[in-house]
Parts: sequence; C-alpha cells; structure tokens
Amino acid sequence: MGLRMKILSGFAILTMMLFLAGVWSIYELRSVGSSVQKMLDDNYKSINASKMMIEALEMQNSAVLLLLLGKWKEGRSIIQEGEDLFRMGFDIAKNNLTIPGEQSYVKAIETRYETYKTMWSQPIVGTKREADLNWYFEETHRAFLSTKAAVSELMVLNDKNMYQTASELKAKSHRATMPGIVAILCALVFTMGFNYFVNLYVVSPIIRITKGIHKFVETGKAENIEVETKDELADLVSSIQDMIARLMR
Amino acid sequence: MRLSVVLRYTGLVLLVDATFLFTAAVISLNDGDSALLPLLYAALVAALFGVFPIIFVPSTTSITNKEGFIIVVFGWLLSCAVGLLPYVLWGGEFNLTNSWFESVSGFTTTGASILTNVEALPRGLLFWRSATHWIGGTGIIIFVLSVLPSMGKAGMILYRTEMSPLAAENFLFRTRRTIHILVSIYVGLTVLETAILLICGLNLFDAVTHAFGTIATGGFSTKNTSVAHFDSLSVEIVIMVFMILSGIHFGVLFAAVSGKLEEVWNSPILKFYLVALLIGVGLVAVKVHGCIYHDWGEAIRYASFQVISLGTSTGFATADSSIWPPFAQLLLISFTLQCACAGSTSGGIKTDRIVIFWKAVVRRIKSIQHPSAVITVKLNNASLPDDVVEATVLFIALYLGITFLTTLVLGFLGVDPLTAFSGSAANIGNVGPGFGGVGSFGNYSSIPALGKWALTASMLLGRLEIFSIMVLLMPRSWE
Repeated sequence: MGLRMKILSGFAILTMMLFLAGVWSIYELRSVGSSVQKMLDDNYKSINASKMMIEALEMQNSAVLLLLLGKWKEGRSIIQEGEDLFRMGFDIAKNNLTIPGEQSYVKAIETRYETYKTMWSQPIVGTKREADLNWYFEETHRAFLSTKAAVSELMVLNDKNMYQTASELKAKSHRATMPGIVAILCALVFTMGFNYFVNLYVVSPIIRITKGIHKFVETGKAENIEVETKDELADLVSSIQDMIARLMR
Repeated sequence: MRLSVVLRYTGLVLLVDATFLFTAAVISLNDGDSALLPLLYAALVAALFGVFPIIFVPSTTSITNKEGFIIVVFGWLLSCAVGLLPYVLWGGEFNLTNSWFESVSGFTTTGASILTNVEALPRGLLFWRSATHWIGGTGIIIFVLSVLPSMGKAGMILYRTEMSPLAAENFLFRTRRTIHILVSIYVGLTVLETAILLICGLNLFDAVTHAFGTIATGGFSTKNTSVAHFDSLSVEIVIMVFMILSGIHFGVLFAAVSGKLEEVWNSPILKFYLVALLIGVGLVAVKVHGCIYHDWGEAIRYASFQVISLGTSTGFATADSSIWPPFAQLLLISFTLQCACAGSTSGGIKTDRIVIFWKAVVRRIKSIQHPSAVITVKLNNASLPDDVVEATVLFIALYLGITFLTTLVLGFLGVDPLTAFSGSAANIGNVGPGFGGVGSFGNYSSIPALGKWALTASMLLGRLEIFSIMVLLMPRSWE
C-alpha cells in the first residue's frame, strides 16, 4: 500500500471512530428525549387522571354524608361536581391505554364506579336512607373504597411503569455518554499509535535518506539506505540510488 | 525488540476478537436487543485497531523469542481491554471495574462474574461473554497463527509461551502443524459437545455457550444457577465428560485420537489426574451423604460435578457447595489449587507440577537417608533436569505466595477470610467460584473495586504462568 493511502487510512479510521461514536451518542440522546416524552405521555397523564378520579370519589363520598344529614342542595351540587371531575379523569385514562393490561384496570374502575353510582344516584334525602349510617357503612362506603382501590391500582401500575422508564432513561443516558468517552480514549491511543508508525515508517526513513545524501555530498561515497516498506519512500530511495550510481560513473 | 512487529501480530489477535464481536452483534440484531450498538461499536474498534498495524507494518516471517513472548502477553492484555468495551458501553451492572473484571475473567477462562443477574443480559452479550472463554481457551495467539501462513517459525515460539512450559517440554510439537492439531482437537471437542448437548435437549444457543465454557474450562453460564438450571442428569454427564477431557494434555488427546492408547495409559500425569478426581469424588460424596443428600445417587451426582468442575478449573455448578461440610469445602479448595494437566486449557498449579513436587520431596528424603547416592527425579522413565524440578518448586511457592498476598489484600478491604482465600485461589487458578460470599451460585459483585483489580491481576498471572507477566514488567524485556 502506498504512503498516501496509509496516512489516509489512519485519518479515515480516526474519523470513522469519532463519527460513529458521535452518531451513536446523538441517537441515544434523541432516544432519551423520546423516553422522557413517552414517560410524560404514557404514565404521568394516567397518574394525573387517577388523582383526579380519587379526588372526585372523595368529593362524592363527602357529598353522600351531606345527603345523609339531609342537606340535599349542597350534597347534590358536590356530587355533580365530583361526577364531572371523575368523568374527565376517567376519559383521560380510557384514552391513554399504553401499558399491556391497562385496559382491564380501566374496565374495573368503570364497573365499580357504576355500582357506586347506583348508591347515590337514587334519592336519599327524605327517604328511609336519610341518616341511615348502617346503609352508608355497609354499602356506600364499601363501594366507594372498592372504586378508590381500583383507581389506586391503575395509579400503581403507571407508577411502576414510570419507574421502569426512568431506569431505562438512566441506561440510555449511560449509553449516550459512554460512546463519546470510549471514542475519545480510543482516538488518543490510536493517535499515539499513528504517530509512532508515521515516525517509524515515514519520518525516520526521510531522515536516513537525508543523512545518506548529505554523506554522499560530503564524502562522495554512496551509502546503502534501507527502507522496510514497499511504498513511495522505497521508490525514492531506489531513484536516489540510481542517481548516485549515475553520478559516480 | 521491534515494537512494530509486536503491534502487527497483536493486531491480528484483535481481528479475531472483532470476528466474534460481529457474530455477537448479529445475534443481538436478530433479537433486536439493546446490546447491538455496544457490540457493533466494539467490533468496529477492534477491527480498526487490528487492521491499522497490518496496513503499516510489513509482514515478517522471523520473530525473535522475546518478540513472540511479548506478543502473547500483549495480546492477552489488549484482548481483555477490547473485551470490556461491549460491557462498559452497554452499562447495567457494568462500570469500568466490573467490565474489566468480566473481560479478564472471560479471556483467562476463569469464569468468575460480577453479575447478580446473568439472565438479564441480552443474548448477544451472553454470547460474547462465552466467546471470550473460547478465544482465551484456544489461546488467541495459537488461533491466529494457525490461520496465518505467513508466520513461519514464529508459531512455535508463541506456543511455548502460551502453554505451560511443562507442556512444551513433554509434547512433541516442533512445527506449525502442532497448532493445527491443537486447534482441530479444540474445535472438534467444541462441536462434538454442542451436538451432544443439543441431543440432550438444550437449545442451540445454550448448547454452544456451554460448550464454549466447558472446552475452554471457563465456566460462564447463561443461567443464574449455572448448569443446575437444566436439572438434567444427561446434560451434567456430558459436561462432566467434556470437562475431564478438556483438562487433559492436548498431546495426550491427540495420541488417543491417533489410536496410540498405550501412550495414553502410560502417562503418569494422566493417571494421577484421573485417580485424584476419583478419590476426590468418593471423599466428597461420603461427606455430603446424609447431611446434605439422603440418597447415595444424589450425593455421588452432585459431588462428581463439583469436584470435576473445580478440579478442571471450569467452575460450572449444579449445587451450592458453600453449604457443604467443611471437609468437602477444603477438599474442593485443594482441587482449586491443583487443577488439571499442563497442556490443557486448565489453570491452577497443574497436576504435572504436583507430581514433580512429590517426587522431589521423595528424592529429598532419600538423599537424607543416602547422602552419597545420586538420585534423580524421574517422570515417565525419563530423568528431569534439576532446573525443571527447581522451577517447579519455585513456581508452586510463588503461586501460593501470590494467593496469600491477594488474600491479604482482600482481607484488608474487609472481605471475610473464607471468601478472601477461596476467591484468591479460584482466581489465580482460573477456576471462578470459591466459597463463602463467592460460592458456586454467588458472584464477585460485593468485592470492593480495589479487590476486583487485585483479583484480575492474579487471574492474568495465573493464566500466563506468573513468570511471563513478571518478565514483561522488567524494563530489560523492552530493550
């Protein structure tokens, strides 16, 4: 291989190592970005929706207690407010099914909420249920806790998934930084090796050739210059030796 | 010494590494796992670093002893350095120290791991992990030389350094043909074991990786509970047979394949190796029967596997020997120190040296009884020169000294004595698992970082037969 190609290959290898590490780092960084977005879209949205549903359920539970006390207007107003909030949270959760099996959790919430809803959707004030604490504890409160538990399960599922995504993020950020570090270290080692080879197979022969020519000029005696490689420098030595041979004739 | 020549041939070693890294990357690509880019980049780095010296340095057929020697040691160290790249790039449990530990453990065929959950690794990385055993076992240098016809006499020079000096003494290999024979036996055994494991019901990936681990006497498994995961007597028997075969001098194996069975049976080293294993199995089975296993069949089954595994420096496991009675543990530690025959891929002091050592002890006793008598140490009806006997005894002393020193380092770092001693012995012997915290189902993750570096140093010392590394560190070697 010619000298030009050898030197070019050195630079090409160096460039390739750095370029590929750079491309990989960019790819991983972009992946980190999309993971963050995914985490926000997939999990954080559902967690927020769950919180909304729990808040709505708490409101409805308080409202049922107000109805038991005979406060119809306040109770019904809070129940409606809770219903709107719950529906808003539920719709977000229902339209954000991103984890395998998440649909069954949402279905469970829907079923339990429907059961809970039947408890307070019928009249309470002015009926036999008014001030019936036994009915409240035996049926309504249980249905409330059951629905709340279903919502909590959805929140835990998303929490776990968010933790997993965060762990993946850590791995991705490691993979985004390591290629750069490795490439820099490899490039340093490679540069040292490249420098050694250039020195050994390019600079040193040139120095030997120069010394040989100087010696010939000073003494008129030809000196055998050895070059290990079969490249442009070997051709140069051969040409110089031919020239010296002609001059000496 | 011509550094450029050293760099050229270590470059060839890196190209072998690159080939296996690319293969691992293909597995990752097929699985679509997260190890693809780390493996691919590491393969590329290895290939580029390997190709560059070949471009610059002209081919040479004459390599001096010193150059051959440096190529071997340098090749090992560079392979270990390149081998850590996929681990450190992938991340997970692999920081720099852990990656270096895993890589050195692989290439030296030690099989000690820092991984708490092996099965969490992508299959591409698991393949690379096992491949490091196989490359290390075959002797990267031997492998490279066997496929490169341009080396001329250099092959033999490298071979002498790579293998135990004792193996070079008693094995009639004088040409490059030697290396072809060694590699043929090595590849043949690997293929045969893979095929039999497939018949036994393992899938291709597990069969190949476990064959790599067995023939190289390495011990990296793809399962958290090693071979115990398969819970198959046939798999255990196959692995045991191949562990025993891999612990035998390759020259003896070649003699056996060539039909020269008389030579095989006349080998005192082989006799000692097999009888020692047999006695070991018997004694351990007696001790574990009753307290651990109530059935004799089970006692023999598990005792056999553990004794053969440690006695050949492999390190696979089918039982947690850390909970076995103290006598059984001590016996297993003695096998960890001794290991198998020189000229195999096994580590440890080696049975050859143990035999010579005891013969030297007998000679000493005889010379005390008969001060005027000229008594020589004989092996296979041939007298051994005194310098061989002296070197053997010196090696054993140095080996035990380094083991003790590593134990002290680990003890200083707060590691308990059993873990420290058995871990040190298991690492310098390239065995892998020790006892205590680093038992057969345990790992080295709890060892402090400095301790891990000390253990990797002892792995390299053990693999390169101590003196090679020591000579490399002498400034005169580089003149």
